[in-house]
Amino acid sequence: MIRIENVTKTYGTDVVALRDASFDVPKGEFVFLVGPSGSGKSTLLRLLNRQDRPERGAVWVAGRNIIDMPSGRVPQLRRNIGNIFQDYKLLLNKTVAENVAFAQEVIGKPKHVIRQQVPAVLDLVGLAGKEDRFPHQLSGGEQQRVSVARAFVNRPLIMLADEPTGNLDPATGEGIMRLLDRINKTGTTVLMATHDQRIVNTMRKRVIQLDRGVIVRDQARGVYE
Amino acid sequence: MISRLAYTFRETWASFRRNMTLTVAAIITSAVSLLIFGLTLLMQRGFDNLLVKWEGGVEMIVFVGSNANDEQRAEITNALDAQKPNLIESYRYCDVECSLDEADRVLAGDPGVLELLTAENVPTQFKVVPTDATDVDTLRLLRESLREAPGVQNIALAVEELDTIAKLKGFVGLYTLILSIVLLIAAVLLIWNTIRTAMFARRREIEVMKLVGATDWFIRVPFMLEGLIHGLLGSLGACAGLWLVNNRWTAGVQDFPDNSGFEAMVVPGSFTGVVMLGLLGIGMLAGAIGSGIAASRFLDV
Repeated sequence: MIRIENVTKTYGTDVVALRDASFDVPKGEFVFLVGPSGSGKSTLLRLLNRQDRPERGAVWVAGRNIIDMPSGRVPQLRRNIGNIFQDYKLLLNKTVAENVAFAQEVIGKPKHVIRQQVPAVLDLVGLAGKEDRFPHQLSGGEQQRVSVARAFVNRPLIMLADEPTGNLDPATGEGIMRLLDRINKTGTTVLMATHDQRIVNTMRKRVIQLDRGVIVRDQARGVYE
Repeated sequence: MISRLAYTFRETWASFRRNMTLTVAAIITSAVSLLIFGLTLLMQRGFDNLLVKWEGGVEMIVFVGSNANDEQRAEITNALDAQKPNLIESYRYCDVECSLDEADRVLAGDPGVLELLTAENVPTQFKVVPTDATDVDTLRLLRESLREAPGVQNIALAVEELDTIAKLKGFVGLYTLILSIVLLIAAVLLIWNTIRTAMFARRREIEVMKLVGATDWFIRVPFMLEGLIHGLLGSLGACAGLWLVNNRWTAGVQDFPDNSGFEAMVVPGSFTGVVMLGLLGIGMLAGAIGSGIAASRFLDV
């Protein structure tokens, strides 16, 4: 599903975010990206949805090298990728249901499909009955659930999560992880950048560790260390 | 398709409301610039009406009375031919039809007089292009020699009625044109800035849209439509202003003393209509250019 081949990415002239990184992620796998701040985790996620391009190497997503993909095809690529962020990136002037529907509206999904799928996905993430609330009326965990619902509503092949539990207390964070695990079990490949030692150690999934842009460990059923 | 259109209009309207102050400023500026541009065109047309009879280097007009017969006209022709090529380079005869056409423009502001003119009573004209237009003394002598010829009603010299008007036309035309262009540029920049601000205000939404796979065009179109509407509303304002000014002027000219010359400065409705269509086109184009550039440049917010 994902293949990173000898990827090097620098910012400016001397900040190396990734150095000659390579790994494969088969369809349906759950992978933790760990490492200190500035180790290149977020850069890797940005390369995967073509928010950035590397200087060297190849980034394959669903069988296509996306480095030289024409910019007109990028939206199509992104419809297959769901994104979750530490700060949720919800639209504050829209309700829960509107935030989720927005992800379908802007790619031209018909109204009747939106009306059917939004309540279903909100039910899946445990927000049934809160459709008409605004983000400021929700707790942090609930806001992150909206963000997960928005990322998952278009049934993406891949889910990229950048520190999704970073702003949440441990119990709430665990709830989000259970949700991501459920989504992963539907066949969606999940890549999650995190600092959360406890979560990584509990879930025992594949762990890729980065240090100053270099992959220093790639371990199946790994722990944080 | 319908849901996309509904989305586009909804977003455009929402952006309008959010950005009301800048939107109003952009619309007013484009309205004022287009109004001045439109007035410039109308003034030019008014001056052209005044000068129409002098087109093509004509410096002297011999008006022939409507009761002159063919013999008398032939005599005038002979008198003019006698001066070729020393004093007269060329001349042409403006017959009844041509003179009535000309009167339609020159007397547009004086329908009372225009109504009295018929094919039977309109004076025809010999339009004379002199060999040396700067030699005013010789032109005056020429006028004296032709004045007594039978059938001649009157002889007008351009130098005596034209000079001030031509200078005024050049002066007014140039400066109002420069002013309207400067204001139009200001309008485009204001529209550009309004769209940029609107995009900045919605940067989070745009970021989310891009991440979930909305195309650039899908994101751009509501903003471009917004700019287009700014231009359209501005030009509609300008058209309303132009219509009002022209209307008041046409009505006001009736009260000027007879033969003041201002009756020629009235511009008929058909020409005003063409100018208004032009203003609508320019307004929308300015809006589309301003918003198009902004929507392309600031998409990566």
